[in-house]
Amino acid sequence: MFILKPHSGVPIYRQLLDQIRRMAASGHLPPGTELPSIRDLALKHAINPMTVSKVYTLLEAEGVLERHRGKPMTVAAPKRAQSPVAKRLEQLEPHVEHVALAARQLELTEKDVVKALHDSWEKTDEQSVHRRTRPR
Amino acid sequence: MSSPYIAARGLGKSFNGKPVLADVSFEVEPGDVVGVLGKNGAGKTTLLELVLGFTPATSGGVQLFGYDSYRLPGAAKARIGFVPQQDELVNQLTAADQIGVIASFYPRWDDELVSRLSREWEVDLHQRVKNMSVGQRQKLSILLGLGHKPDVLILDEPVASLDPVARRQFLEQIIEVAADGNRSVVFSSHIVSDVERLANKIWILKDQRMYWQGDFDSLKDSIVRLHARATQPLPDSFTIPNALSVQRNGTTATAIVQGWRAEMHDDLAQQLGAELEVEQLALEEIFLELHR
Repeated sequence: MFILKPHSGVPIYRQLLDQIRRMAASGHLPPGTELPSIRDLALKHAINPMTVSKVYTLLEAEGVLERHRGKPMTVAAPKRAQSPVAKRLEQLEPHVEHVALAARQLELTEKDVVKALHDSWEKTDEQSVHRRTRPR
Repeated sequence: MSSPYIAARGLGKSFNGKPVLADVSFEVEPGDVVGVLGKNGAGKTTLLELVLGFTPATSGGVQLFGYDSYRLPGAAKARIGFVPQQDELVNQLTAADQIGVIASFYPRWDDELVSRLSREWEVDLHQRVKNMSVGQRQKLSILLGLGHKPDVLILDEPVASLDPVARRQFLEQIIEVAADGNRSVVFSSHIVSDVERLANKIWILKDQRMYWQGDFDSLKDSIVRLHARATQPLPDSFTIPNALSVQRNGTTATAIVQGWRAEMHDDLAQQLGAELEVEQLALEEIFLELHR
């Protein structure tokens, strides 16, 4: 499953770390794939079990792997990918259009609106974002 | 935190006033696999014999399971396994009888393990030791060191006479011991590639001293070969921090650097006015560079 070259200058733990990371990112190891036990992987490649254990622990901390009590480690589901900025701006457009229209009707300047938006931006912290957007 | 199985401080040994090991300190924790490297005569065997308490230290000492290794109680001795460089088998005995003699000393002897391994390793139990090949004797000697499932397994050049297949089988057995997590292995070897696979800690002995010791991954990460290539001749004088050796030749230079960190790259490239390439080294190359 992995290609490990102990004789290379790159430490074995880093070879394994990079390979699992890459294979998980590319979908070669889809989410939910079970990884071999520490002992099995160590025996298969004739390497120190602590090396494998170190890699699994690092990848768990990174969120690439998931540990399950008494069961094999699995590849974690990737965090939901952020859609591109343009796509998200598109969603915002009706709201912005509405503000622009209302501002013109109220005979406010662009500068006034930008300042108002800025102030409003400052007031909305992370928490209030989640509070307000959740009920839909 | 568990306490170390082995702890040596200021350990030294002289024969007839001539030091063979000086001021060596180290610790071995449960689960460690330590690879001991050094040229012939660097003091590897002496170090292992001091740990085993075969010989008294001239200075300092070794604690094994919390006891002075030279005055080890019997119960602690039963927790050690040792495979000497030259086997101590009895020529007249068959392999089976030899195993029986050793097994009788140990209440924890694992018959099942030893029978299984002697089958897998193709050790003929009916053969007399004197008729065995060097490789067969070495396998038997390793079996005798493993059979009582020691907490600390010490091996002095255990694979020198083994063929590649037998060596791999031996490595697998060491991995089984290491996978336990509560047992430790200390082994000296000139087969650097085996050390590379198995060891999480490395001790490099040089000139009767501990020249380098530590985590194997950090050894590989910290010693690199730098290649500098410039279009102009390199400055007349430059310093590469922590360089063990520098070779220059007009517009190019090669250096072995200890304690290399990626952050050092840009400063050095600017100082030299050169492109830098960082080459990571295999353990064998590191060993050779440390002995230049």
